[in-house]
Amino acid sequence: MIRRYWKFFVPAVLVLGVLIVLLINLSANLVYFRTPTELLTEIEPSAERLRLGGQVVEGTVSTQGETLLLIVTDGRESMTVSHDGVVPQLFAEGQGVIVEGTWDGAMFHSDTMLIRHDEQYRTEDNVIYDSIEHELEDT
Amino acid sequence: MSDATRTRIGPLDVVAAVSVLFALGFALASPRIESQGEAARMLFVHVPTIWLAYLAFAVTFVASISYLVTRKLRWDHVAGASAEIGVVFTTAAIIGGMIWGKATWNVYWTWDARLTLTAIMLFVYIGYLALRRVIVDPEARARRSAILGIVGLVQLIPVHFSVTWWRTLHQTNTFRPRDIQMDGPILAALLVSVAAFTIVYAAMMRHRVRLEELELLAHTAAIAPAGPVAGDAVSAPNVGNSGTQP
Repeated sequence: MIRRYWKFFVPAVLVLGVLIVLLINLSANLVYFRTPTELLTEIEPSAERLRLGGQVVEGTVSTQGETLLLIVTDGRESMTVSHDGVVPQLFAEGQGVIVEGTWDGAMFHSDTMLIRHDEQYRTEDNVIYDSIEHELEDT
Repeated sequence: MSDATRTRIGPLDVVAAVSVLFALGFALASPRIESQGEAARMLFVHVPTIWLAYLAFAVTFVASISYLVTRKLRWDHVAGASAEIGVVFTTAAIIGGMIWGKATWNVYWTWDARLTLTAIMLFVYIGYLALRRVIVDPEARARRSAILGIVGLVQLIPVHFSVTWWRTLHQTNTFRPRDIQMDGPILAALLVSVAAFTIVYAAMMRHRVRLEELELLAHTAAIAPAGPVAGDAVSAPNVGNSGTQP
């Protein structure tokens, strides 16, 4: 069987090999955003555009004219962001955000903001279902 | 068009249509999803469509192996039909995801790992469908597309785990083993929708596999060796004995 199919298997294996090499090499680029910790420890401030992701710290959001000031955190480090641009509808304190722009060493200057919501699908009255779960656990 | 080749609406089609309406009702009646707004109801379409794409490509994979083992063209029909439905639903998942993405992320499309790999998967299976159209001989077509049908499934692994392997804009998987990040009522509505879409898949497969069989019949008739137009059943028209009269 292999002899009959070698002319298909060889290209298939080659294509797979190329894909695997591509995926491994692109792994760094497949990281969609950087965390405040990475920015502070690994990345030199520059004019290069990058994305910063984290959670909006409660009580840190303020406006200065057209500019939105906020602090995002990854749980370890946090970074002040000055955002000039559209603010998405779901923007809120405690929400996950990704901002796009440059880092000058002290502050992140962004012009694009995306919302990154988590994988949790909870009802607004989740208390009820929590208690049902606990009842189930008790029985 | 003869009676035998006409497409008929069967009981399965009716069940599929009714269950989709039922699922739509569940989706609208489901409690609001915390902190995500009404747009999050896209969940009840987005997840079932990509589930169908996974299912369809998995069926293509199994049918392709079955063809290579048994050499029965029936399996090739199943593989081809399923891949086509998979392409339709991958497209639906991407379009639905874009609408949801604009409402929630504030962007229709971005090159994060999940989105990019899903798009690549779509194009590979469009390539599979194109391959099926360039080979005329049914046996050769079945053999060659079976290999792509088998190799193609490998992509499902990076597509599905992209959100865990790389940092993406797309949220990570909600369904983790023994730890589902979803409340009961939302989960119930989602499962109804997944079941309804699965019935739609079965109904579409029934029609599409039959179409493949008809195509094979048409092909066999087209390449049949030249002979009397209607076989031996018809003889030359009798114009009387005028020509033989002395």
